Amino acid sequence: MLISLQWIRDFVNLPTDLDPRDLAERVTVSTAEVEGVTPIHIDAQGLIAAKVISATEVPKKRNLKLVELEIGGDNTVRTATAAPVLHVGSNVVFAPVGASVATTGVIKATTIAGAPSEGMILPGEALGIPLAMQEAVFLGDEFQPGQALPAKLFEDWVIEIDNKSITHRPDLWGHYGMAREIAAIFGLPLSSYPITPEAELSSSNLPDVAITIADAHACRRFTALRLEGVPTIPAPLWMQLRIGRIGMRPISGLVDLTNYVMADLGQPMHAFDADHVPDIEVNWAYEGETLQTLDGMERTLTTESLVVQSQGKSLSLAGVMGGLNTEVVDSTDSLLLESANWDPIVIRRTAHRLSLRTDAAARFEKSLDPANTTQSIQRFHLLAKAMYPEMKITGRLSDNYPGKPEPVVVAVNPQHVKRTLGRSCNLEEAINLLSPLGFSIEQNGDAWYVNVPSFRATGDVSIEADVIEEIIRRVGFDAVEPSMPRVSMRDIKMNPMHELEMRSLEFFCLAERFHEVNSYIWYATDWLKQLGMEAGDCIELRNPAAEGLHQLRRLMMPGMLAAVQRNRFHFSSFNLMDLGSVFEPHPQGDQEHRHLALVSARRGKKEENACLSQIKRAIGQWAWLRFGQQVTYTSASVLAECPWENPHRTATVALGDTIVGRVSVVEPGTRRAMDEHLSAWSIACAELRLDNLASLTTTTEKLGTIPDHPQIDMDFSILVPASSHYEAIAGQIAGFEHNLLKQIRYVDSYEGKSVGEGNRSLTFRTVIGSQARTLSEGDANGFQQAFETFVTKLGFAIRK
Amino acid sequence: MTLDELNKQLAQIELQVACGVRELNLIDAVRSFESSVLGKQGLIGLLLKNIRDYPADERGQVGQIINRAKAKAKAIIDARLSEIEREAVAKESQGASDVDPTLPGDVESLGSLHPVTMVQLEIERIFERFGFTVETGPEMESEYNNFDALNIPADHPARDMQDTFWLNNNQVLRTHTSPVQHRAMKKFGAPLRIIAPGRCFRYETLDASHENTFHQVEGLVIDDEISIPNLIAMSKALLQEVMQRDVKLRVRPGFFPFVEPGLEIDMNCQICGGSGCATCKQSGWVEILPAGMVHPNVLQAGGIDPDRYSGFAFGLGLTRLAMMKYGIRDIRVLNSGDLRPIVCAQRLGGPILVNHTT
Repeated sequence: MLISLQWIRDFVNLPTDLDPRDLAERVTVSTAEVEGVTPIHIDAQGLIAAKVISATEVPKKRNLKLVELEIGGDNTVRTATAAPVLHVGSNVVFAPVGASVATTGVIKATTIAGAPSEGMILPGEALGIPLAMQEAVFLGDEFQPGQALPAKLFEDWVIEIDNKSITHRPDLWGHYGMAREIAAIFGLPLSSYPITPEAELSSSNLPDVAITIADAHACRRFTALRLEGVPTIPAPLWMQLRIGRIGMRPISGLVDLTNYVMADLGQPMHAFDADHVPDIEVNWAYEGETLQTLDGMERTLTTESLVVQSQGKSLSLAGVMGGLNTEVVDSTDSLLLESANWDPIVIRRTAHRLSLRTDAAARFEKSLDPANTTQSIQRFHLLAKAMYPEMKITGRLSDNYPGKPEPVVVAVNPQHVKRTLGRSCNLEEAINLLSPLGFSIEQNGDAWYVNVPSFRATGDVSIEADVIEEIIRRVGFDAVEPSMPRVSMRDIKMNPMHELEMRSLEFFCLAERFHEVNSYIWYATDWLKQLGMEAGDCIELRNPAAEGLHQLRRLMMPGMLAAVQRNRFHFSSFNLMDLGSVFEPHPQGDQEHRHLALVSARRGKKEENACLSQIKRAIGQWAWLRFGQQVTYTSASVLAECPWENPHRTATVALGDTIVGRVSVVEPGTRRAMDEHLSAWSIACAELRLDNLASLTTTTEKLGTIPDHPQIDMDFSILVPASSHYEAIAGQIAGFEHNLLKQIRYVDSYEGKSVGEGNRSLTFRTVIGSQARTLSEGDANGFQQAFETFVTKLGFAIRK
Repeated sequence: MTLDELNKQLAQIELQVACGVRELNLIDAVRSFESSVLGKQGLIGLLLKNIRDYPADERGQVGQIINRAKAKAKAIIDARLSEIEREAVAKESQGASDVDPTLPGDVESLGSLHPVTMVQLEIERIFERFGFTVETGPEMESEYNNFDALNIPADHPARDMQDTFWLNNNQVLRTHTSPVQHRAMKKFGAPLRIIAPGRCFRYETLDASHENTFHQVEGLVIDDEISIPNLIAMSKALLQEVMQRDVKLRVRPGFFPFVEPGLEIDMNCQICGGSGCATCKQSGWVEILPAGMVHPNVLQAGGIDPDRYSGFAFGLGLTRLAMMKYGIRDIRVLNSGDLRPIVCAQRLGGPILVNHTT
């Protein structure tokens, strides 16, 4: 929201030498964030009013008119202008030859379109009214042709307040409310709000405006005043300039005045052409009813649209936008002024449903002070009286106020003030701090009773903490002496799941050289299609970020494979990992699980074993370090939702008896489907579910002693068919028994020319020993013979 | 042989040994040369054998002369032996092939943590030092935990479909880590000291500085006498630790439904130091830490008596912090899976000689 400093000065007598940037900084640290401070420096010199005597279009020059103007006495000048609308008799802001403003420099006599040009009708944008663009600025009777326009009217500063920082402060959506804060900040008095006294508007001689309200919850208050003698004239120049600077476009005296009061007090008002409005009814619309709004659009209403009606006919969309049928037009001379208070939720829903976020709706949805309705009409009247000397009240100030709130009084425990502030604050100090903001305090026993002014009782200040906030805001955060908290010690365990996750990330990335990547938690339908994957039953987003991103992932692997595809252009081998949530619909309540995904990718088709082995080594080390458990792999068939799994190269991963996930080689069809270049790559992947692992009983490693008698290591290489699986062979080997046997462990696997085509050599290391004696050569030979016999009986050959 | 002759002969042998041994370059050759001189049948050995040919009163003197010569010869041979050994060591240290001690080590890719994780670990370490427990919560959250329990009213715009991802099971993707405040209060009660890092989601249109998926860390302290001065002191300690330097704070009012009073804590811009630049939009300050005193309704919803306890809470954008710390300009690279922008090139291979990439 934009604030004019000149406007603020109407209410607070700020020092003339005040640097607006300092003001902005102080507003930021005590009230609301200022996003920018901009000088409006027009540097107007020699501007005058000038009356249009004649205006003729220049043939073939679109938008260009030749104009003759009266500039006082019998003096006339001629000029050309691009102002789109210009009527004979209009009084406009004019820069004669020798005058200047900042954007044009000194105006010189010249020739335009073959005609002499002896000055310039200044466009609104040159005078600090950006939205007026090329339009002329029209003047009422306040300035006679030739009369000089005071330069200081054009000088101002505009302060931009971050709207987000005042959504909870409806009182700050007007200059008077902002002035109250600024007055408090600078310790200056705030002028009382300039209005016509209520008595002047509510003479009992005048007829009432009949107002009925069907739903007191939706319309808390409706106030109206009927006026006559308000011809179409421009608003005063100062008013046009002020609303222009804060981003509105001057339109006509009445519209500008309504806008001015809105920016002044924060209260939107509406003016109806009174000829069509004998009385007022506030009611819900009929389902399917239509109303043509001021923007010319035909709106279809529902029973949830609140409307202002007269004689059963809908006139306006309450609190959002007026209707075209009662629009104030040039011929309007009598009008009915509405100032109402609406339920913010009703307004927000309507504005949202119709995508009609007007200035009025934006304010009403913040919950305005009901006291504003009469005040705004009184303010309007005071300003209008100066503009329309002939104005008469034809219907007195009428007020239907069914939703009058109870005054808000907040009980405050001074000990709580002390607790939050970190120091004590006595009643006197509290009163000094809060009274400039309109609060008053009474003490009763130990408690303070704080009377909240109506403009802050809109939901903004309702509990003790709100009052404490006001106090500390007034004390100033920069006056607070920071001090570390005094805290109680408690024995709260680190979250075991989190512990597992962070240590796992560190392990895989720092020890096993994986790169951690992140991805989105939803599937991309197109990518699944490319992978040939059926997503299965997924939890879905009602409002996905984009089409095809509606399914929450059940597995991380599709995202990981996308990352592989992305990185293959830049690296010839890489290992990726990710740790995150996956989601599954479940009859007893949908579930979120934590998964760990690993991928190893290398260029070259023959790297599959290397990729797989890289992943398995990492998993094996991790399982041992974290859980003290060995990993076992059991071959598994491909899951329907994992079409990338190679049916011959897929296994489940188990820690002890618990299956925690799957590991597989990515089958060639998937690689080709991902990207034709990946057809010559090897990719292995694993996805593990971590949920149950955090609570897994971890076995602490048992560390041994040095044996009393030396032990002997003997390696045996066993020739097996290359197609056979380790799990089966290892299971059989583990069945070997011998009284000297201490240990059998896996050493390595080898395929190559020396072991013959179609064969694999698996090497196991046996350790033999005795507690009682040193082994003899005979012992070793005997063991060797026994083991070899055992293996041979299993149907395998020993490789010598 | 007279003593004189003996002396002459020994001098002759000594000369012979000294010259002979210098010709030899192999340890074995020296050893056999040694036995040809000092062995029982060796030049000196034989002389010693013939000692009986001397008169008895001369034998002592002869023995001494021979033994002295023997010791001298042995010393010469030993000297040569150690010389040969030294030469061998010198030769071996030079090596068979050339070794360049200035060559870089094996070129092997290191692994890497995601930038957000690196920052998160750092933050966790700082808070663990202050005795905070790290707590987490699910990414799929109930509407109650994400909004109601945090005093966000039923009609608050944040609940709209334009701001929040809604699921077909009527739950939401959490829009902040704040639901963990509520969960932790329920789980542990007061007093309490936690941080809650995690992934959050907001319905945003993606551009260089907006993501719909990002990380935050939430902090919460509830105890007997927690004050705003405490919150400011803690914030300052945290930011100084993260930035590894002295920082200036600017505290100003802010509005968030779950805190009252609500604060915005700004830090002096680390790019320009506070004089104003593009990063801080010329203000000299960057918004870094939305914070405040826990709203009494939030304490109550968490089962904690707001009369008895007070607390502060703050949120810190981990994603934003990671971007600031590592100079990442486009937020979208963080979830792209592309390693290039999130892994330092030095981690991916050998040392870099020329670098024009930054």
